[in-house]
Amino acid sequence: MTTTTPPIKDATPVVTKPRGIRRGSVISSTGLYIATGVAAFLFLVPFYLIVRNALSTDAEITGENWKFFPTDIQWGNISELFSDNTVPFATSLWNSTIVGVAHTVGVLLVCSLAGYGLARIPYKHANKIFYLVLVTLMVPAAVTFVPSFVLVSSLGWVSSFRGLIIPGLFSGFTCFLFRQYFLGFPKELEEAARVDGLGYWGAYWRVVVPNSLNFFAAIATITFIQGWNAFLWPLVIGQDQEAWTVQVALSSYMTNQTVNFHLIFMATAISILPLVLVFLFLQRWLVQGVAQTGIKG
Amino acid sequence: MSAMSSNNWDRRSILRATMGLAAAGGLAACGGNTGRSEGGASGKALTQYFHAYGEAGTQEAIKRYAKDFDGANVATQWITGSNFESKLFSALLTGNAPDVFEFHPQLQLIKSGQVAPLDDIINPVKDDFNPADIKSHTVDGKIYGVRMIDDPQFFFYRKSMLEKAGVDVPQTLEELAEAADKLTTDKVKGLFLGNNMVSTNYALVWAAGADQLNASNEIAYHTDEVAAALRLYRKMFTSGHLLLDAPADYWDPSALVQGLTAIQWCGMWAMPVMQKALGDDLGIFPFPAAASGAKPAVYNGGWSMFVNAKGKNVDLAKEYVKWLWIDQKKYQEDWALSYGFHVPPRVSIAESADKLKSGLPAEGVKLFTDYGRFDNINWTQAMITALEEVIADAVRKGVDPQKALDTADKKVNRELKKLFG
Amino acid sequence: MSTTTTRDVTRPAPAKVSKAKPRRGVRGSTFNFWLFTGPFLLGLVIFVYIPIGWSLWLSFFEARYTVTPNTFVGFDNYKQMLTNGDFVGALGTFTVFAIIIVPITWALSLGLALMVHRLRFMKAFFRSVFFLPTACSFVAASLIWKMSIFSGVRFGLANTILGWFGVENIAWLANPSPPWYWLVIVTVRLWLQAGFYMILFLAALQNIPPELYEAAAIDGAKPGWQTFRHITLPQLRATSTAVVLLLLVAAYQAFDEFFNLLAKTTWGRPPLVELYYTALGEDQDYGAGSAGAMILTVLICTVTLLQGKFMGFGRGDETK
Repeated sequence: MTTTTPPIKDATPVVTKPRGIRRGSVISSTGLYIATGVAAFLFLVPFYLIVRNALSTDAEITGENWKFFPTDIQWGNISELFSDNTVPFATSLWNSTIVGVAHTVGVLLVCSLAGYGLARIPYKHANKIFYLVLVTLMVPAAVTFVPSFVLVSSLGWVSSFRGLIIPGLFSGFTCFLFRQYFLGFPKELEEAARVDGLGYWGAYWRVVVPNSLNFFAAIATITFIQGWNAFLWPLVIGQDQEAWTVQVALSSYMTNQTVNFHLIFMATAISILPLVLVFLFLQRWLVQGVAQTGIKG
Repeated sequence: MSAMSSNNWDRRSILRATMGLAAAGGLAACGGNTGRSEGGASGKALTQYFHAYGEAGTQEAIKRYAKDFDGANVATQWITGSNFESKLFSALLTGNAPDVFEFHPQLQLIKSGQVAPLDDIINPVKDDFNPADIKSHTVDGKIYGVRMIDDPQFFFYRKSMLEKAGVDVPQTLEELAEAADKLTTDKVKGLFLGNNMVSTNYALVWAAGADQLNASNEIAYHTDEVAAALRLYRKMFTSGHLLLDAPADYWDPSALVQGLTAIQWCGMWAMPVMQKALGDDLGIFPFPAAASGAKPAVYNGGWSMFVNAKGKNVDLAKEYVKWLWIDQKKYQEDWALSYGFHVPPRVSIAESADKLKSGLPAEGVKLFTDYGRFDNINWTQAMITALEEVIADAVRKGVDPQKALDTADKKVNRELKKLFG
Repeated sequence: MSTTTTRDVTRPAPAKVSKAKPRRGVRGSTFNFWLFTGPFLLGLVIFVYIPIGWSLWLSFFEARYTVTPNTFVGFDNYKQMLTNGDFVGALGTFTVFAIIIVPITWALSLGLALMVHRLRFMKAFFRSVFFLPTACSFVAASLIWKMSIFSGVRFGLANTILGWFGVENIAWLANPSPPWYWLVIVTVRLWLQAGFYMILFLAALQNIPPELYEAAAIDGAKPGWQTFRHITLPQLRATSTAVVLLLLVAAYQAFDEFFNLLAKTTWGRPPLVELYYTALGEDQDYGAGSAGAMILTVLICTVTLLQGKFMGFGRGDETK
């Protein structure tokens, strides 16, 4: 993976449109495809390992000689995983789905409103408040980890969906992204809405949101991924097994005293499958959305 | 996302949703549903914490015992592997703290008033406990914690591999290093001391003729013999004869069973699995002497049940501990012998434990009795960490052992000062 | 339940309603401002500022095995954290980590973006391949890295490949000399992150007006290094700045992979891992842990602000 030195030197901008194909460009384009192919291959190796290990027996994984593919594909590993009652894997998948969706909806709602307010509604102290939001970006979560845990626990939210979801809704970063986005939102559209007699609230829901669906979709995807992949917080909050998310279940396989390779990797495979699907289907939105965030060139 | 992409939300429902969220975030409502099953037939509830045992059936067993208790509905938290201390300690700070939990005897838990004395329930059967287990749980004449199982740790080896390489069972640490050398092939490493090698740190100190602390609670591990043993460990570490970065650590029998190593440091608990996989091709020996005149060493680890003194229902918790770990000998025996092998701390159970009476398990019990040493309750978590860091520095990183021990001295002394003034 | 939660809270700006604000033909903008931002700010105060304040308060107390201490010790915890070598060492580890990971990730994601940008066929395919790891969690990735690629035994992928060339098995994580563990930690982070930053660069590349290149060609700039150096790079300045900033913040927050991959070491412990062990792990010293957290927070803020000054971050504000 580290061998993919970026071929910066060949970085001929594409924009020189190939009206007449030059010999050099054929060579460099072959080289380009080889370099990209090698890099892509390296990026795919871990996925290959997950699939290979998930469908092998332990004996094949730990054997003396490397096996590229399992001799017999062990589909039975899937049912073994779900029937293993020491780790409630199915429950954890369900929990992660709920947490992921609720987290996403909540973050989008709370942070987009705040981002809009900070970007577009004139208020004397708006800038100061914005700095208070910015500061939280720089405070690592683990700094406040223990007090947060005690706080949430004194609310009685341990091992509950509330405890898993609500404390994570107030993301300074997402609020920041929404603010940057709304700063660039065409003012004319809103003003037209105002002329029609809508207040901020009406204009926001009738005009701003419907015209920003791509951006919302992009943030939604990123947020969902974060919610699904979060580890440290669910680890501590999800004390009951019934409240485990899939990441906690996964790590429990890793730290379990007995190591079953095929189950561990089957669990890994199933845990990333939903996200891979989300990625493949929503990639266009994602890419567009990222391009629209405030950090574009 | 689904909510946001539809623009049919009317103002009022949005407002309601927003206010709802604000209220949920804002109302610092005390109590509330903790998501736990509250109460049973008796309407009372207890929570117990266990670390995740690796042996199949253990979790079910603990839940089965708990279900049989009539006094309360006992919920079990089965906490996986390396997170146990963190989860336990952070939970103890909160209102969701467990009422009873398993851990090792450590003075700071007692000094901070975290665990309740259990003399009243233990004293009637005190003589039926292994005296060492009583001693390791006693502070100022009070007994804290009921021992559930004793777990001797020693070396397991593949007889066939030693025979093939012409190696005898090592009697000294030097010989162990030589054995590791001779046993190493391109597919098998000679010796597995655990991935980070810290699990042998007690045994190493003892086998070098030293101790963690002396009787007046001063540092006793900092001797030239210990430094020499560490130097030898360093040599072994760099020799390439040790199995390192194995996917499963020392507590798991995998490394030996999968043929990754010829000798492995592990515990009695793994014996059934090893015997099943390897049959007679299995032997054991204690940590060999590391200084002239010193005895070989076996570390008698284990787990004990403690009652959270700050819990909501201390008396009920004590009743439960008494019921299960004092009265229910059937379950105690089941717990010690049916999954992994553990030495029962109750003399009467140990005497009737047929599974430990012959063959390799009997040899294990003999090592436990002859060479085994127990936890020192005054040797607390911060000191444990300090000595583990000596292993990391002197063995893995290559710092001079004396220097590494000096660093540990500072940390241990700070802790000793806090505990004993 | 503890009642100490409300002390030392840094409050958001006072909610005093000012009528002096010149209106822009909008009624009740102050009310609307709080309507929009209120829920978020309330949550931020409860779940971010109160814990920060609590941490600050704890840092001045002897707080072992408790988060509601009553022994005030002044700056002792700070002194202990700064004089005990572990925490300072952790800052050093972080510096090494940042020096390695920030430029490499920057270069790799830019390189991938340049490559994908130039592709004519299968562009979407390659973009997906590089982007896909972003979907994985650090837990899953650490698991693959530790158990399957860089395990020290013969059936680890790296050792298998080395074995084909007759190289002995390497203990990638256990042995700190040579420090192979950096290879493990850096590659796992690269794999997980490079795709995301590649997308940022791709977006920026698409926004460079073609006329710039045409003009440069007319001026005699050769395609290749010269145009890259004089046109592409300057045009990517804002994105580069943002990427570097995001990478730095992410590096500061690094926790999962160090925690999952390195156990029982005295090296390779960046600040957060060190703090975790101080406060939550074995020592349960919340006072010292909080003091370290405060030192870290101040450092992060300073560095970020300085970097912002030097590299002109926050320009977005000027577009207002």
